[in-house]
Amino acid sequence: MSASQSAVRSRAEAVQVSRTFDWMILFTLFFAVLGGYHIHYMLTGGDWDFWSDWKDRRLWVTVAPIVSITFPAAVQSCLWWRYRLPFGAVVSVLALLLGEWINRYLNFWGWTYFPVNFCFPSNLIPGAIILDVVLMLSGSMTLTAIVGGLAYGLIFYPGNWPIIAPLHVPVEYNGMMMTLADLQGYHYVRTGTPEYIRMVEKGTLRTFGKDVAPVSAFFSGFVCIIIYFLWHFFGKWFSKTDFIEGDI
Amino acid sequence: MKIIKNRVAKLSFVALLTTLSAAMLHAPTASAHGEKSQAAFMRMRTIHWFDLNWSKDEVAVNETMTISGKFHVFAGWPETVDKPEVSFLNIGIPGPVFIRAGSWIGGQLVPRSVSLELGETYEFKVLLKARRPGDWHIHTMMNVEGGGPIIGPGKWVTITGSMGDFVNNITTLTGETINLETYGLDNIYFWHAFWYALGLAWLAFWIRRPLFVPRHIAITSGKADSLISGTDKKIGIGFAVGTIAIVATSMGMTAEKYPVTTPLQAGLMRGIQSLEMPETTVSVKVEDATYRVPGRAMQMTLTITNDGDAPVRLGEFMTASVRFLDSDVAEDETGYPDDLLAEEGLTVSDNSPLAPGETRTVEVTASDAAWEVYRLADLIYDPDSRFAGLLFFYNEEGDRQMVQVDAPLIPSFI
Repeated sequence: MSASQSAVRSRAEAVQVSRTFDWMILFTLFFAVLGGYHIHYMLTGGDWDFWSDWKDRRLWVTVAPIVSITFPAAVQSCLWWRYRLPFGAVVSVLALLLGEWINRYLNFWGWTYFPVNFCFPSNLIPGAIILDVVLMLSGSMTLTAIVGGLAYGLIFYPGNWPIIAPLHVPVEYNGMMMTLADLQGYHYVRTGTPEYIRMVEKGTLRTFGKDVAPVSAFFSGFVCIIIYFLWHFFGKWFSKTDFIEGDI
Repeated sequence: MKIIKNRVAKLSFVALLTTLSAAMLHAPTASAHGEKSQAAFMRMRTIHWFDLNWSKDEVAVNETMTISGKFHVFAGWPETVDKPEVSFLNIGIPGPVFIRAGSWIGGQLVPRSVSLELGETYEFKVLLKARRPGDWHIHTMMNVEGGGPIIGPGKWVTITGSMGDFVNNITTLTGETINLETYGLDNIYFWHAFWYALGLAWLAFWIRRPLFVPRHIAITSGKADSLISGTDKKIGIGFAVGTIAIVATSMGMTAEKYPVTTPLQAGLMRGIQSLEMPETTVSVKVEDATYRVPGRAMQMTLTITNDGDAPVRLGEFMTASVRFLDSDVAEDETGYPDDLLAEEGLTVSDNSPLAPGETRTVEVTASDAAWEVYRLADLIYDPDSRFAGLLFFYNEEGDRQMVQVDAPLIPSFI
């Protein structure tokens, strides 16, 4: 077969090959993102995502969206400019959550027997859907960063509250008050995670009384805007085709 | 081609057999906690655990046991380790095989980090409830911020029964009794499954149509605007509005269902009560100390002065949780771990009762294989070549005095 000849013999065959190619790319993309995003998120979000007694109203709300908007921004950038496909954020978060759940179930529970209600991952899907829809409607990375990024930070806490609220019910234990999540952290011994490395409720955000979660969420949203900008450039850089000869 | 296929098939079969064989081989459980790997000076010059008691050697699932005793925070705390101003009384176990039902220092519950004072001795107790069957090595442990985990002695405890029977019932301040082991699991699974399904629906909406090749061709031929239709936008708006509505509704429902919630509790606990130790009437001066590498023995020349009103004898030298006893003076009656106990490991050149007002210089030798087994001999490689430990003197009534020693150590290689 010479270079000028087609690899397919009919339009139907071309469509079939194209679809096969779609599934192959999607499969590869899903698991490549799963691996990279998972490692990134474990290294940067780590304990805040691992343990219920780290999921507080200040730092978890701030840190988790900031470090998790990275891959969605990069994948969105690639899929949008190359293919006008607005599912980069959702596919990234679905991949991450699949990896997280496999890890939590097989490793945290299956190997070391931490109850799943103590080590479940954070829910990132509401923010990812908003991010994808904003990109699709605006067609602008700038607007997605500003509106989508802010929304991604803002919706994180309310999107997770139905999951963590039951664990914030107070309990009296041997003369001290704590939440059920605190009690989980105390009961289920983590030899390598002493109490003092738990970064919760730290900071000087004291002038807002008990309503610090919205303030933290706004701050997180602002930083998400910057991180989105930065990581969408990574996505652009990764989707370059400089290594292929000819115009693509 | 056929030859290659056959070879690949053969190699795959061999690989499969190897994997299966490897999986069938016995893989022993890793039960140690790295206590022997911790630098010798960390174990000798930081926290000294003594008078330890493991209340049981065997417990059934749901039963409780305690580890109690005392720990002395060494006054000669090494410069290279942060002081124990933020510390946490932990327990060295392989994962949550027990739950920590309670832990106390000086009678105060310590679910949080505490501030400890150098030179003080504290009483502690940890209450454990058995959860997972097996044989487990249970260590005392103190985590020190900037210093890391300082592990104490460990003892084997057997848990019998079935983990499926384990319950962890707690009554909340709202009056509800729950099993913390499984509490809220259905809720967690439900919301994660729900949102995952919604994410998949968004993905499915896009991937049901041709994706990469035709869309790329359309973009390069200037038809990018045709790729997102009006229907796509309407569906997208539906997803976004639906997402916001679901989040808002679920927040409202949750607030209704759990009207009383509190933030996570955190903070450092200061003012922990230390133990009033009996006044020490014996003073000890270390004239010299050598560690003889071939003999696995430490020799000290001590000048001991008894300022009390009763004769005393040296009964024990304890360092890094290893106890060297002079069996004529002291015996262990607590069931201390065998590997950390040298029942006849202490020799004193003249251990006759030291009369009140008397001063005597003696040669003291602490020898046992534990020096090697517990890698304490490695202290000759430490950056600050010193040894430290506790000496226990006994009078005829069996009353005990504790004296701390801390001095330079010279290794002897011949």
